[in-house]
Amino acid sequence: MKNVILLTIDTLRKDALGCYGNESELTPFIDSLQDKCIRFTRGQTTGPYTQASFPGILTSSYYLDYGKPKGLSPKRTLISEPVKQAGIVTAAFHSNPYLCDYLGWNRGWDIFYDSMEEEVSEKIPYIKGNVLNSKVAKWLTSHSKMGNKPFFLWLHYMDIHEPYVPERKYVDMVDSSITLTLDEMFLLFTEVLLKRDVSDDRKVKLLRKLYDAHVREVDDYIREFFATLEKLDLLRDTVIIITSDHGDEFGEHGGLSHDDKMYSELVDMPLLIYDPNQDKGEVCDSLVSNVDIPPTIVHLFGLDPVESFEGHSLLPLEDYPRKGCFGEAIDQRSQRGGDIEKDIYFYREQDLKVIYRANLDKWEMYDLKADTRELNNIIDTSPEAEELKSKLSPRVRRWLKG
Amino acid sequence: MTEQAKVKRCAQLVEKSKEVIREAFRKFTLEELAITWTGGKDSTTTLWIIRQVCLENKIKLPKVMTIDEGDSFPEIHDFINKWAKEWKLDLEWCVNQDVIDAAGGKLNAIVKVKDLNERNQAEIKRIGYEEDTFPFEAESYVGNHLMKTVVFNQFIERYGVKGIFQGLRRDEQPARAQDVYFEHRQAAEMVPEHTRIKPILHFTERDIWDNIMVNKIPYCVLYEQGYRSLGARTTSAIAEAGVPAWQQDLEHTTERAGRRQDKEQMMDRLRKLGYM
Repeated sequence: MKNVILLTIDTLRKDALGCYGNESELTPFIDSLQDKCIRFTRGQTTGPYTQASFPGILTSSYYLDYGKPKGLSPKRTLISEPVKQAGIVTAAFHSNPYLCDYLGWNRGWDIFYDSMEEEVSEKIPYIKGNVLNSKVAKWLTSHSKMGNKPFFLWLHYMDIHEPYVPERKYVDMVDSSITLTLDEMFLLFTEVLLKRDVSDDRKVKLLRKLYDAHVREVDDYIREFFATLEKLDLLRDTVIIITSDHGDEFGEHGGLSHDDKMYSELVDMPLLIYDPNQDKGEVCDSLVSNVDIPPTIVHLFGLDPVESFEGHSLLPLEDYPRKGCFGEAIDQRSQRGGDIEKDIYFYREQDLKVIYRANLDKWEMYDLKADTRELNNIIDTSPEAEELKSKLSPRVRRWLKG
Repeated sequence: MTEQAKVKRCAQLVEKSKEVIREAFRKFTLEELAITWTGGKDSTTTLWIIRQVCLENKIKLPKVMTIDEGDSFPEIHDFINKWAKEWKLDLEWCVNQDVIDAAGGKLNAIVKVKDLNERNQAEIKRIGYEEDTFPFEAESYVGNHLMKTVVFNQFIERYGVKGIFQGLRRDEQPARAQDVYFEHRQAAEMVPEHTRIKPILHFTERDIWDNIMVNKIPYCVLYEQGYRSLGARTTSAIAEAGVPAWQQDLEHTTERAGRRQDKEQMMDRLRKLGYM
């Protein structure tokens, strides 16, 4: 394939998409792409928040692979690097401060826009998807005029991330009985979400609806972005990988937002590969990880495999090996204070998942088929518990040694 | 690169800059133009090239503005004053005196927002800062805005400046990779409409030093001590002590590593996203 686009959406839960069973019609455009997509039903992120998951998405490595996390280790290979080396034009457009050039994510990109020099407001502290779209459109237009060389584009939307302050029109699409003003929505952010206060179920449900309105909004940005590709006649030779870095919690396990937990609402990810030459939609039920994304991009460009990458190419589907998935994180609220004592890990094989919280020396295990909500801990009763534990144990605190 | 090749390359780079400057003089009148000068290597190079164009065409040099952010190096002050006199510049020192007064002239003093004048209060509100106080630091989020951005905008407003020369380079930050020589800024709340003109956009950090050496352009003594990028005094760090900037490994290390402003911006974004 000539071009590859990686389209990532911050904080997008898998279960918010129609093509993954959501019935609220929040993603009509993404759903409409399904007959040209491979849809992965068991995608796992490598961590429940941006810093923990993006090493998987862009470097095919794990958050705690290179010692105590502090910016992007120079030892990691960003997917942009081998791609650029092969003479393919690389461009990145995003607005997530955890992925800014100050932290080292700008390596290997011909164009790297992280928006950090722009002024943003308190309520919308990032550059919105439609503005990113226009920047990308401008770049793609000039790129196609200048010989139209093959390119790799990474585009990341922030709009679903809190604070949830969706425009009226999107609130109305989700629930027109909600009459909150922007200030009132923002108050829910400062008074309920930031305090992780789940005591009032009504407010938690309201937060979810505002979140849903942002999902609906991003679906429109994706529609607009595809229209740009169509207009520039790029859609027919471009593969587009669509995924998210992590989900968001709405009280499922007693919290809000995305802290250091390893349950499905945070670590299940949507993953779609849009291929214009696909003649019908496909569904893949293999257990796959976001560390598989960089090797897939390498495969799509026909480049030599990158040795340091931990994942496997998702394509061709029939060659994908059966394997387990790992993820890890450190307590997000204390890690900036240097508290490395609160680390958490998960390992999943088929539909069984073990979670280990190191500071409490506490194990959990769930059968995701029988117990989709992960409420029934079977660590003491499952015959498979010891085997799964033994696979996860070597990863625990390995990063303190290196 | 041989010395001869270096001289040739510098001449080409400077010629490209001169084209941009000549175009600016065609687009705007002398009175509508101004030059920003920090005393750093980039803006000094820009000023030097503009001056060459003016000398060649026997036109007056546009007015020059320099911002005193309340935390500057005495070495830079001396450098600016010396060359302003030597080059007979129409130079204006711009400062947000109201903020300095409210801070009692002391760095890190806690400034109460209500002690500021109306304009400064409105500016704080505009950037979404909602606390009642802030520390007086030139490169903190609020400090940078009040001491630099506001002062810059007010200067433009005061003189009806339409085009302002800046010493920005594309390679300075990847975010600038797509910058253009003439960047038009629409009027916005408290920001007058203007065009930012960036004649040395195509220079790399290495080019700047090569050109300074080839053309004997003056530079501030701090670069000899190992500074590579000069911002406010308390937030600029020596990159390699005792190694002059032009002798450092410019290609493989970061120019702005010693600058705290980028970090401040990132931290502010994270705070707004709910991470602090």
